[in-house]
Amino acid sequence: MNMDLETARILGDSVRRYADERYGFLQRHEVLEAAAGYGEQAWRDYAALGWLALRLPEADGGLDADPLAVGALMEVVGSRLLMEPILASAIVGTGLLRSQGSAAQQAAMLPALAGGSLKFAFADAESPGGRCEVRDGRLRGEKIGVLHGDVADRLIVSAADGDTGGVERLYLVAPDSPGVETTRFRFVDARGAANFGFSGARAEPLDATDRGPAEAAIADVVEQATVAQCAEALGIVRVLVTTTCEYLKIRKQFGRAIGTNQALQHRAVDMFLLQEEIAALTAAAQRALMQPAGTRGRVVSGAKAYICNAARRVANEAVQMHGGLGITEELDVSHYFRRLMVNAALFGSRDEHFSRFLAAAPLVTESHS
Amino acid sequence: MTDALHEARRRAEDLKAAVRRFHDDKMPEDLKSKSARHQVLDKSDYVRWMRLLNDQGWAIGHWPKAYGGQEWSLLERFAFEDQLARLGCPWVIPFGVKYVGPVIYAFGTDAQKARFLPRIATTEDFWAQGYSEPGAGSDLAALRTEAVRVHAAEGDHYVVNGQKVWTTYAQWADWMFCLVKTAREAQAQKSISFLLIDMKSPGVTVKPIPTMDGYHHVNEVWLENVRVPVENLVGGEGEGWTSAKFLLKNERTAGAIVGMAWHALARVKALAAANPGSSPERTATRIGELELRFLALEEASYRAVEAMVQGTDHGAEASMIKLRGTELYQDIAETAIDTLGLAGVAFDIAALHAAAAPPLGPVDAGGIVKDHLYNRAATIFGGASEIQRNIVAKGVLGL
Repeated sequence: MNMDLETARILGDSVRRYADERYGFLQRHEVLEAAAGYGEQAWRDYAALGWLALRLPEADGGLDADPLAVGALMEVVGSRLLMEPILASAIVGTGLLRSQGSAAQQAAMLPALAGGSLKFAFADAESPGGRCEVRDGRLRGEKIGVLHGDVADRLIVSAADGDTGGVERLYLVAPDSPGVETTRFRFVDARGAANFGFSGARAEPLDATDRGPAEAAIADVVEQATVAQCAEALGIVRVLVTTTCEYLKIRKQFGRAIGTNQALQHRAVDMFLLQEEIAALTAAAQRALMQPAGTRGRVVSGAKAYICNAARRVANEAVQMHGGLGITEELDVSHYFRRLMVNAALFGSRDEHFSRFLAAAPLVTESHS
Repeated sequence: MTDALHEARRRAEDLKAAVRRFHDDKMPEDLKSKSARHQVLDKSDYVRWMRLLNDQGWAIGHWPKAYGGQEWSLLERFAFEDQLARLGCPWVIPFGVKYVGPVIYAFGTDAQKARFLPRIATTEDFWAQGYSEPGAGSDLAALRTEAVRVHAAEGDHYVVNGQKVWTTYAQWADWMFCLVKTAREAQAQKSISFLLIDMKSPGVTVKPIPTMDGYHHVNEVWLENVRVPVENLVGGEGEGWTSAKFLLKNERTAGAIVGMAWHALARVKALAAANPGSSPERTATRIGELELRFLALEEASYRAVEAMVQGTDHGAEASMIKLRGTELYQDIAETAIDTLGLAGVAFDIAALHAAAAPPLGPVDAGGIVKDHLYNRAATIFGGASEIQRNIVAKGVLGL
C-alpha cells in the first residue's frame, strides 16, 4: 500500500506555517501560563484548519490520514512543542471511537471531535489496586496519569465488563458526572493530566456490533500513538541538533568558538547520527503500521525502544553543550528535554517496548548469515 | 602504609561513626523527613542545618585549629561529606565554610579574619559565589566585571560594574565573594582580584534564573557602580587568580558526590523491588551495572584522596572524582525516573514546597524528579566535565 505523500506534505506545511505565525516562543509561553494548560484559541484554530479531522473517514469530511500524514503533523507538534491534545483526542480517542463505537456513537461524536468542541482522553493505566470494572452500567476503580485528562470532555476508559465475565471493554465516561473524582496535575513538561477515581460513575460502552476485542483495538491505537510519538521525537531531535550546532558556532570561550574543539565536533556528529537513525526508524515504523496487526510490533516497538534512548542522549548532550543555559526555563532546550522525558513514559515504557521487540520473531538469525 | 595515613583512616572511620550517631540521635525529624523526600529546603532550614553542624564542630572541621577548626585531613573531610550524603542529609552549603573561609584564612588580613571567619562558622553571614559571567563560564579568566579604585576623603574604595551569573542562593546572601578585573591591560590572570561585596550595597541587583526543576536556585547578580571599601580586597590587587585556583580546588574535592550516588542507588534498588518493570532480570542487570560503577567510583575516590593525603597525587584526582561521580549520579537518576514510570514524569512543585504527596508514586517521587532535572547541571557547574577532562589531559597525560 502506498502512502499518500501529497497529504503528508500539505498537512506538514500547513501546521508549520501556522506554528510560525501563531505559536512562537512567546505565544507558547502564554499557553504555559494559562490555567487550561493548553491553547484554547489554538485548539479552535486547529479545528478550523481541519487537523482535528485527520483520523476521520473521508466520507465524514475527514482526511483519513495515513501514518505518514499523521507523522508529518506530529513532527511539527514536536518541533514546536504544541501543548494541545492532538495526540490524546484527535489520534488516540478518535481512533478508539472509530474502531469500537457504534454507527450511532460515531455519528454523534465524530463531528464534535473534528470541530474541537469534544476532547477525548484515554484512561488506560491503573495503579496496582485500582482495577476498573463496570457492572450494570456503573464504573468502579481508578485510572492514573491520563494525558490531558484534566481538560477532557469525555473519557474513554478501559475496564472489565463485569456483566459478561470480565471481558475487557471500552466505555465513555463524562468526567464531570457523579461518581468521578478527578485529581488534576501537570506532567513535568507542563502538559495537563489527571488521576481518576470512579465510584459508580455512569459508563456507556462503545458498542459497535462488529467490533473486535477491545484489547486488539487498544493495542492497535497504542501502536499508532507510539509511531506518532516517534515522529514527535524526530521533530524535537532535529531542533535540538540544529540549535546545539548553532550554539557551538557562536559561543566563545578561550578566545574561540567552542565548536572548534574536535571533542565537541565529534559529539555533535554523534547527535546527528542519532537524528538520522531516528528519522529512518520513524519511517520504518510508519510503513510497518500499514502491515497487518501482529506483524508490525517488532518494528514499531523496536523503533520506540531505540528512539527513547537515542532521543534522551541527544537531549542530554544538548543540555550539556549549552552549559548552564541548558537547564534554564528561559531556553527552549530544557522544554524539549522535558517533553521527551514525558513521552518516554507514555503509551508503554521503553522497557515494555524492548520486551515486545525481543519477543517478536527475530530478523537476525543464523540461517540468514 | 605510612603512620600518617593509618591515623587519617582511623580518624575518618571515627568521624563517620559520629556522623551516624548524630543523624540517629540529634537530627531534627522535620529536617530528616524533608531531606529524605528531597523536598525543597528554605533559607531557615539551611541556616539551622549549618548551625547544627557547627555545634558538632563539623561545619569548619577542615579549618586550622587557630581559627576554630579541627584540622581534618583531606580524608576525614571527604569521608564526612560522603557519610552525610549516604544518610540523605541536606547539602552542606559550601560558599562560606568551604570556599571563602579558607581563602580568608589563607590570604586575608588579620582584620578580615577577625571580622569574617567567626560569622562564617556560625552562618551568621550567608555567602554567595560571584565567579561565572555570561561570557566567562569555563573560561573564567575572560571575566569582565571591573573594579576601579577611587581615592576619597572618607577612605579609598572600588567602584564595581559588571554582571555575575549562576549565582547560587544569591537571593539569600549577605555577602558575595567576587572575582573582578582591577587592571585592563595586564595579562588576564594578573588583572584579577578577589573582592568581598556586601549584598546590601546600593547598586547590587539580584534577578532569579528559573531552572527546569521549577525552583529558584540560581541568579544573575548585576553590579552597577557598587562601592566596595578597599579593606574588602583579599590578597593583593591582581592576585585574585591565586585565590580563585585555591578555591576551585576546594570546590572540586567533594566527597558528597560519592555519598549521593550511594543514597540514590539504594533508593533505586528499593523502587525497582516495588516496580520491577516488564523484565525484572533486565532491571536487576541495569541496576547491577550501576552498582558495579559505584564500587569503582568509591574505590578510586578513596584511593585518590589517600594519595593526596600522602602527597603522591598526580594533581587531577579531584577532576577524576567529579567526572565519574556526577556522570554515575545522573545515570542513577535516569534509572530512577524510568523505574517510577508515570510517577517519574508527574510533577507538582507546589506539593514539594508544601510537603504534600505527589500526584503519583511514593512520597519522594516528586523530589526524585526535581533532583533528576536539576542534576543535569552537575556535569556543568563547578567546572564542566569538558574542563575536567582538559585538566586530566593536560595535567596528567601531558597532552
